[in-house]
Amino acid sequence: MTRLKRISYLWVAVAFGVTLLPQLQLASHADEADSVLSPVEANRLFTLKVLPLLKKKCFPCHGDDAKDLRGDYQLLNRAGMLAGGESGETSLVPGKPEASQLYQAVLWEGSEMPPKENDRLTKQETEYIRKWIAADALWPDTEAQLQIKKREWQIRENEDGIIVDTSGGLSDDWTFRRYDPSDIWAFQPLSQVDVSRAKADGQNPIDFLIDRKLEQAALAVAPEADFRALIRRVTYDLTGLPPSPYEVFQFRQAWEKGPRQAWQALIDRLIESPQYGERQAQHWLDVVRYADTAGFSNDYERSNAWRYRDYVIRSFNQDKPFNTFVLEQIAGDELRPDDPETLIATGLLRMGPWGTAMLPKEEARQLYLDDLTHNVGQIFLGMPMRCCKCHDHKFDPIPTRDYYSMYSAFASTQPAEMKAEFLPQENRNGFEPKQKLVEDLLAYASSKLAIVNQKQEDAAKKWYQDHSLPYKDEAARKKDPEDKKPPRHVGLTPAERGIKKVREQEVRIWGRRLERYQPLVQSVYNGPPGKFVNGLKLRLPSRMDQKWLPENSILGGGALTAPLKPVVPGVLSAAVLAMDHEGETPWRITDAVQGRRLELARWIASDDNPLTARVIVNRVWQSHFGKGLVQTPNSFGAKGRRPTHPELLDWLTVDFIENGWKLKRLHQLILSSAVYRRSHQSSESAKLAKVDFNNDLLSVFPPRRLTAEELRDSILVASGELNPEMGGVPVMPEMNMEVALQPRMIQFSIAPAHQPSRTPAERNRRTIYTYRVRGQADPFLKIMNLPNPNESCDMRDSASVAPQAFTLLNSDMITDRAIAFALRVKEEQKQKRGNLFPDDSDVYLIRRAVQIAYHRVADPVELKSLLAYLKEMQIYHRKHTPEVIEYPTRVTRSLVEEATGEPFGFVEKLNVYEDYVPSAKPWTVDADIRALADVCLLLFNANEFNYVY
Amino acid sequence: MTPLARREFLYGLGSSLGALAMTDLQATEKKATGPLAVKKPMHAPKAKAVIMLVMEGGPSQADTFDPKPKLTELHLKESTRVEGLATGKRFFVGSPFKSRKVGNAGIEMSEPWQFLADPEVADELCVYRGCQAASLNHPEALLHLNTGSRLGGDPGLGSWITYGLGSVNQNFPGYVVMTELALPQAGPANWGNGFLPAYYRGTRLRSSGSPILDLNPPRYKTRVHQRKALDQLEMLNAKHAAKHPQHAELQARMENYELAFRMQMSVPGIVDVDREPKQLQEAYGLNRKETAAFGRQCMMARRMVEEGVRFVQIFAGGWDSHDYLEQGHSSRIASVDQPIAALIKDLKSRGMLEDTLVVWTGEFGRTPDNNYRGGVTAIGRGHNVDAMNMWFAGGGVKRGAVVGATDDIAAKAVEVVHPIRDVHITLLHLLGLDDNKLTYFHAGRYKQLSQFGGELITEIMA
Repeated sequence: MTRLKRISYLWVAVAFGVTLLPQLQLASHADEADSVLSPVEANRLFTLKVLPLLKKKCFPCHGDDAKDLRGDYQLLNRAGMLAGGESGETSLVPGKPEASQLYQAVLWEGSEMPPKENDRLTKQETEYIRKWIAADALWPDTEAQLQIKKREWQIRENEDGIIVDTSGGLSDDWTFRRYDPSDIWAFQPLSQVDVSRAKADGQNPIDFLIDRKLEQAALAVAPEADFRALIRRVTYDLTGLPPSPYEVFQFRQAWEKGPRQAWQALIDRLIESPQYGERQAQHWLDVVRYADTAGFSNDYERSNAWRYRDYVIRSFNQDKPFNTFVLEQIAGDELRPDDPETLIATGLLRMGPWGTAMLPKEEARQLYLDDLTHNVGQIFLGMPMRCCKCHDHKFDPIPTRDYYSMYSAFASTQPAEMKAEFLPQENRNGFEPKQKLVEDLLAYASSKLAIVNQKQEDAAKKWYQDHSLPYKDEAARKKDPEDKKPPRHVGLTPAERGIKKVREQEVRIWGRRLERYQPLVQSVYNGPPGKFVNGLKLRLPSRMDQKWLPENSILGGGALTAPLKPVVPGVLSAAVLAMDHEGETPWRITDAVQGRRLELARWIASDDNPLTARVIVNRVWQSHFGKGLVQTPNSFGAKGRRPTHPELLDWLTVDFIENGWKLKRLHQLILSSAVYRRSHQSSESAKLAKVDFNNDLLSVFPPRRLTAEELRDSILVASGELNPEMGGVPVMPEMNMEVALQPRMIQFSIAPAHQPSRTPAERNRRTIYTYRVRGQADPFLKIMNLPNPNESCDMRDSASVAPQAFTLLNSDMITDRAIAFALRVKEEQKQKRGNLFPDDSDVYLIRRAVQIAYHRVADPVELKSLLAYLKEMQIYHRKHTPEVIEYPTRVTRSLVEEATGEPFGFVEKLNVYEDYVPSAKPWTVDADIRALADVCLLLFNANEFNYVY
Repeated sequence: MTPLARREFLYGLGSSLGALAMTDLQATEKKATGPLAVKKPMHAPKAKAVIMLVMEGGPSQADTFDPKPKLTELHLKESTRVEGLATGKRFFVGSPFKSRKVGNAGIEMSEPWQFLADPEVADELCVYRGCQAASLNHPEALLHLNTGSRLGGDPGLGSWITYGLGSVNQNFPGYVVMTELALPQAGPANWGNGFLPAYYRGTRLRSSGSPILDLNPPRYKTRVHQRKALDQLEMLNAKHAAKHPQHAELQARMENYELAFRMQMSVPGIVDVDREPKQLQEAYGLNRKETAAFGRQCMMARRMVEEGVRFVQIFAGGWDSHDYLEQGHSSRIASVDQPIAALIKDLKSRGMLEDTLVVWTGEFGRTPDNNYRGGVTAIGRGHNVDAMNMWFAGGGVKRGAVVGATDDIAAKAVEVVHPIRDVHITLLHLLGLDDNKLTYFHAGRYKQLSQFGGELITEIMA
């Protein structure tokens, strides 16, 4: 690979914080408003400002398509404007903007043009139109326009912004367009920020850079949060779990001795705990859209995706340098082809939803490559690429050529299940019994299919006999003419036809699931596609055409049928970093079949790439403060948010790179700041609401609601059921039975029921290990705002909606956990745990439950109220016995047969329930436990449990 | 309201649970604020609510509302049409159904439509034959129809509508979806809130069991039990809120529990069609096996619209007739024909049809020809994105009209041709919303239902 070099001639560096120069003569100061431009100025204004505006905002409906002129009004030339539209009135009165409808319309007075809020002209833009009309609406000819433009293109930077060198857009107007430097901040090199003063004062530079802004805003900072809030906050942030009461107790003691040392020791412990990796991995899996299935019509399982999930957890726990992490995920197979670990890492390239059903091959292929291009762009570079699939980017310096260059970087990549031996660090616990359960289901489906097939073939034999023809089996007779073979589905009733389809699909599904236990991995290879490509089975072809080389072009409008200019594989040309500064196309990478991704990955992970490190540093910041320094973590472009603290972002990023892209160090740095330890309560809340309503300046610490995963995990911690085992094939918690058995349409059939894992220990694993099915989210997690698995999630939604209350009050899941919590407390009472007095009464039960759930002592009012409630419930539950609910070992499914519209039934085996170990249920415990469980249930529901401060 | 005051309010008026429920409902007739508060439309609306009947699988236009005699002539003759994905030999398929003009307006429909043919119903319909879909595959096409995007992850139609208009009834979701036992392809993504906040997510009312998942506690916990639990919860939350006075979100979450408690009473009441007169139940076909399920849902839809629900969607599957077209389509029609006719008559008799828009559609249309399946002549049709038919009735659309046309074999829309997004824009327009202004900033741009804008189908508008 070409050595990476920073290329200076391509770039005019613009320091941060430079605002646009005043808009000179085009400004809209009131006192200048009446001065009329000279003809030279007016021609310039028209060419550089007004015409581009008209082209963008007006011509699409009033000119571009002569056959379809809205309002019969065309604006392509002065004559059209003078003629006006269907009303017959002129829209342009040269010299008199106020009398010109054109001007009134863009002001949204009278008519509203352009009609979309999105396209509405800014004040500045309407002023251009006004000035132009006031100066007699001069319209220079094309040649004169070109001369004006060419002169302008020579000037790299002027009051309208700067020209950015790229590989070039589809038009010169795009190539030479100007950017507000603040819009392209992310493409600019990292700035060196002077924090020497902070260092000299022994202050954390983070605090220095944060507090500086607070001082400017004259906002007081909140005091430090108390030790209890702090340990809860940092434990959730680093591990996604609550601290135990004992950990809180220990921390309190240490804190009283020396808060700084206690805090540091706490961070060190948490960051080195294996749960750190699980928590960090969850953030990453959100961004890369982890799921165990492929989505689309069939939602086929990606049986080995779990190995990628575990790889991500391992990587965080090992504190793998982030640049290495990037290389492995994008090009692990090229980096170290024989290392299973790096092959597993390429699972990233298989994370998107993808299917082939009912899609032409080329379109399915395009879907895959578009998805990769877009997502690699937004995951690593903070540049969602989809915008420039059809045209040069509207706002960012990314020409559509760059889109297709990056697309081309993936064009030799084919998704496939590849062989990768299991690693000693991978969890293969319980493979054998789990595999047996699947084999049993496969055997059952096969036997049921055989019955229907047998019936069909018996009828076929009879048909051949009746027609005095020799019998041929189903495959052999397929191509025979219709009068020489029995009808399709001969001998089968409509219901049996349905059953045949259902069982065939089941056989495919269970066959696929058995691959979980094979040394396979959802990965990729370089080369031509296999002969049959579908989501069910993707394999390395046994023979490959060595001469195969994909060719790519810019696709006009993103359509396969409209190739424009050919492209070579490459990287984003607007970033300050080139691959080969000597060549004419410094952004190109190899066009060999092998090695494209590795070169791309090296470029992405380069110290000199201005985007990658900023993007991950920002994500880490967000993981602690709820929102990033850039509040649109996947979008660092012009339409994303500007950094609230650009200098802080750059200082952190430079520090991150200089110290080897180590994430744990970055966390340490952030967590040791004073801003992280602030209370969420402001001493001047009224002022805060006025000056900094969104708390962008961080004078207080932002509280947050637990995510779906944190909530479930925390409940399991409180109930004492959480099994800390790490990794392995997906685990299946119990799911609301109605949803678990809910028939779910997939192609040809319905998907099999959700069967929970057999034992409580298997089911009560952390949520990150639960089975993620794109087509069927766990209703508990879904209602708690689990993100859509098909789109990269860069920030969790935490909207509170009423149905969450139903789930947290009434679901079987919460009922069972509350009972487990009650049993735990009761058991601990026997062991006299928790240092609580008295230890033999209901008072103990309440106190201990509160202590476990909230890490504090119940206050007297709570204690009294809950105690009375507990007593009342003890009486209540003696009078109300729960009904016993049995687990079904079979379920009769019903499906509508398409031919007859009749529902038909078939039996699905739920074999896990044949030997199932349930957890305690309302009907297996006594009234006192049910009463205590009512108290526990409330503790789960209360706000205190659900928010982190 | 303080806990004590509310308790007095709840228990002071009566002791039976029924009385309790009444007070619950009255207690909430205060004006809602927040994300679901009623918002003013952008212009004068023609419809207040939409009932959208989605015929999953893709009903065939030639066998429903766009009959083509030419296809009967061509029946089983070889077709050389180039057809998207199809490979191998193809042959034309004539409709197994006769058709006729019905009502005073003379709308054409196939013979299996018996109840819809009633002039009182037929003359309310505005059949639209010019629509074109974009995806040949069921899940993507359904997502396109229901969310405006084929990719999944965008907000459902009802999400946009409740985002734009809020919800009239704060004790009931403003956006309700009913499905068959099996979920449609692409599942809940068809009514997800996408990038809009979760308040605007569609709520699926289940056809059996509890209408909303976990609406009620396990049976051994009574409503009185739940009330007591909520009072304790309020005690805990009030103490917590006192310690965190600046944390505004706490209040909203507390209120959700009270709303949930009220919904436990209001939801079953609203969906309980057994309260309807027997005669009307029979009109909807609740007494017949083939129509009972869909009829019940249609009746529920009417009750919900009465209660202020903005957008009700009912999925009815099984229209994917690649084979056995006659059996397939006639049985499907038989299962929805009577309930739909009853729904329209019922709405009409209550004066609700004027401002309720009923939409009947599939996710795409079907081809005039078919391929050999399993090497045999299969009398059925493939998926077709170039032509599909749908109809509208009620608020703001023409009555007794046929708009748009396909070519002589119903292969392709040729008159008043519009993509699905234009149907969306028109729907919003009729509800008083402007697609271009109903936007939400997400991932770097203002998103809108139609994705990139489009145009109204003025031809179907009254």
